Amino acid sequence: MAETKTKSGTIVHPHYGCTVGAAYTVAAIKGGVPIANCGPGCMYKQFFLISFDNGFQGSAGAGGGNIPSANVGENDIVFGGTKKLDDLIRSSLAVLKGDLYVVLTGCSGELIGDDVESVVRKYREQGFPIVCAETGGFKGTNLTGHEIVVESIINQYVGDYDGEKEQGLVNLWFDVPYFHQNWRGDYLEIVRILRASGLKVNVLFGPQSGGAKEWKNIPKAQFNLVISPWVGLKTAKLLERKYGQPYLHIPEIPIGEEATTAFIRQVVEFAGISKRKSEAFIKEESELYYYFLEHFAEFFSEYWFGLPSQFAVIGDSAYTLAYTKFLASQIGMIPVKQIITDNPPPRYREKIAEYLHNLAEDVSVEPEFIEDGYLVEESLSNTDFGSGVPLILGTTWESDVAREKKGLLIEVGPPTTEEVAINKTYIGYRGAFTLLERIYSAAVGGK
Amino acid sequence: MAKKINLEMTSVENREMRLGTIIAWDGAASDLVKESDYEGRKEKKKGNDIPREKQGGCCGNGSKACRLCELKTPLNQQTMCANAIVECQIGNLTDCILIQHSPIGCAADNAWFNLAFKMGLTRRHKPVQNLKIFCTNLLEKDMVFGASDKLRQAIRDAKERFAPKAIFISMACATAIIGEDIDSIADEMEPEVGVPVIPLHCEGFRSKHWSTGFDISQHGVAQKIVKRNPKKQKDLINIVALWGTDYFTDILKPLGLRVNYMIDCANYDELAQASEAVATSTFCHTLGSYMATVLEQHFGVPQIDAPQPYGFAGTDAWLRAIAKIVGKEKETEEYIKSEHERVMPKILELREKFKGVKGFVMTGSAYAHGLISVLRELGIEVDGSVVFHHDPVYDGAAENQNSLKHLVDNYGDIPHYTVSKTQAYQLPQVFRRVKTDFVIIRHQGLAPEAAKLGIPALAMGDEHIPVGYDGMIRTGEILLDILARKRFNQVLQRHVELPYTKWWQSQDDPFILSKEPEILDKALSEKLKKKGA
Repeated sequence: MAETKTKSGTIVHPHYGCTVGAAYTVAAIKGGVPIANCGPGCMYKQFFLISFDNGFQGSAGAGGGNIPSANVGENDIVFGGTKKLDDLIRSSLAVLKGDLYVVLTGCSGELIGDDVESVVRKYREQGFPIVCAETGGFKGTNLTGHEIVVESIINQYVGDYDGEKEQGLVNLWFDVPYFHQNWRGDYLEIVRILRASGLKVNVLFGPQSGGAKEWKNIPKAQFNLVISPWVGLKTAKLLERKYGQPYLHIPEIPIGEEATTAFIRQVVEFAGISKRKSEAFIKEESELYYYFLEHFAEFFSEYWFGLPSQFAVIGDSAYTLAYTKFLASQIGMIPVKQIITDNPPPRYREKIAEYLHNLAEDVSVEPEFIEDGYLVEESLSNTDFGSGVPLILGTTWESDVAREKKGLLIEVGPPTTEEVAINKTYIGYRGAFTLLERIYSAAVGGK
Repeated sequence: MAKKINLEMTSVENREMRLGTIIAWDGAASDLVKESDYEGRKEKKKGNDIPREKQGGCCGNGSKACRLCELKTPLNQQTMCANAIVECQIGNLTDCILIQHSPIGCAADNAWFNLAFKMGLTRRHKPVQNLKIFCTNLLEKDMVFGASDKLRQAIRDAKERFAPKAIFISMACATAIIGEDIDSIADEMEPEVGVPVIPLHCEGFRSKHWSTGFDISQHGVAQKIVKRNPKKQKDLINIVALWGTDYFTDILKPLGLRVNYMIDCANYDELAQASEAVATSTFCHTLGSYMATVLEQHFGVPQIDAPQPYGFAGTDAWLRAIAKIVGKEKETEEYIKSEHERVMPKILELREKFKGVKGFVMTGSAYAHGLISVLRELGIEVDGSVVFHHDPVYDGAAENQNSLKHLVDNYGDIPHYTVSKTQAYQLPQVFRRVKTDFVIIRHQGLAPEAAKLGIPALAMGDEHIPVGYDGMIRTGEILLDILARKRFNQVLQRHVELPYTKWWQSQDDPFILSKEPEILDKALSEKLKKKGA
């Protein structure tokens, strides 16, 4: 590839959607209905990067093609779009089943300055569970949008609370639904682990959630648990102010026995609950884990024909960190290029880099923060993977470079068009082996 | 004087203005043929004035322009837009670059068109590569202070990184609202980068139907890329297509023709030589009519005046029209005869298998007309269809391009013919009214809901499958696989609910909200009452 001297902030091969992509945050809440106060095309576009071309996840309920949309047209731009929005909300409430309706305003509505709040308020005052979020696409990524939407629901739907707190009840702030392609499986594994350790969990997204009514329980929780390097911290800080809840921030999503066991102990310690249940669970899971690991070790030690060792991860902050940590510290693979593409706020970057500097006693890697896919691929292309087969955990966009370097590409982030994700997880005790199966099936020649 | 497409302008008049396109209508196909008044509109396109009282299909009285009646729905759902269409056309050229001048969300479907692009390149035997669309990634401060410098830099980056043969700029809702002047920037930057820089005014809010984006893409290509001093290539025919498999070469080889596919998967030179071809045609008038008409009006390349090449009747007529242009009438008659004889045994076999089977088509407009012909050739009953828009006339306004009329005249009426822009919520009513064993779909968002109603879908991703004589066989064979999937859909139907309220599912008319909007108030007050109780 040609040397590039410029960096104008343009993006080729985007790794994230825009703010209004948080429609999928709403769709991930059981009974949640996103109402897009957007141009035609906005929901269609977000659908692809965040859901369809991201492991072909599909959707349940009011996602995908079911999302109501204002499809703002020229007349609405000129004369205002509130009448059309009013019609859309009224008909959506009647036609779509739901316990919580969230109006997301995109670029057009925000730029022409429609008074969305007053339209929405009218329905809220009548008794409908409806909120609105200012999610003009120019405000940033779908991760920013996720935080805006969560905050809007808390402020406008969950509301004030000055009742009792419930000891041992935790609000879980974790994967960004749909954006993280294995989010459904990831939530299952983390919730399984937390519950088995003696905690009660407010699950806010996905199949185990009680949906909108579970959101109403948020203020009752003893504390908030944020499992991510940065997404969710804003929410935790809001809840700290609003409901006086402390939060525990664990930047590394745990993968493998050692990390997961440490994770459990940290959470249980913070919650101050009895360790009896958690330690029994740790013992049981650890025995299982090493039973499987022993089997795997035979293949790993005796496979004659070479296995990949030096690896790159191209992904968001959370999973670049999680995958790199596990493969480097638990499997003994060598991290050579870690590129973080989700544009974390500058104040978190140093901390994220620090984690990657201290992966294990003698393992360290310097991450790069790049959003432009062209520069990502250029950097990857210039990476020395040593003599073995390069392993790249990345996205579809890295496929040209992977081919050029005769590498093994496993698609783990958006966009992913060569994997189908249904109920899959690469995290915790159980997911670690699914990840190893995926990598080494590919390494021994499986597709 | 016929109204000519104006290539001096950078923007294109919307379909709704140019053709009278509608996006919501419900009735029998034969009625839509009448109301569309293709003949009258054709005359008007030719510049012949028709007295108001002689114009057919006018909605209401008094208005100067004669417009088709159109339903208005308060509830709409996710659809495509013209900006997305430009991505799928211009963003899928192999050696030109599209810059989306927009916030990053407008590029969120790049990945989808990348998948289509790679499939298309494989089908056309070209080296597979990821598409390379730029997005200026505009942020809040750009909305306030303008983003022209970012665009200039993106143009320079595109030139430096990929040395493209041409650079296109697409407008988005946000950039149109803040008034970015992409025309001036294109003019200013063209000498600096030394290749054509082409502005495309395809902001999503501009047209009520995404297909205007096809016209905008084709307009840009015709304006700046198609050769002004062509050297005729007597064996070259333009086929305006998407990513379909190259079946047209097989069909047209006996007539001594080579196929020049445009726009998807083409390179600059292939687009440039469009003016050197002997004729232009397409697999779908919705897609191809604008390009064919521009090439006819401005470059003297005639468009094929025939029905689309589907089923026996359409394919016969289409081949004859091409034969006339290349002077191979006699050979073509023999070819048609031998093709009929070749495919007939297999078609008879398929007809036997499809006895009593019912089908349904949900696709773009003119393409649906072709698909329904193919299904009826196979003996499949088609009592209903949903098309995503309707053009009462095409830009070509040619004698034999009235595709809906061709369908109704040759294969009979479709009693439940619905024009509706990918509205999944209408499917419970649509499929209660019309029973079907499968649906053929293009465009996302409908098949998953049909699936929950127990109906398997053929997602016709390779749009050339039904084309020509072999197209009938190809379609039939794939449908046998799809029908077997019904078992999956029945499981789904038994266990998974639709996301729509009982109240809505109990309605019988998919357009009841258009006709009786007041029922919404009643539904809402009942919903509140129930909640209160």
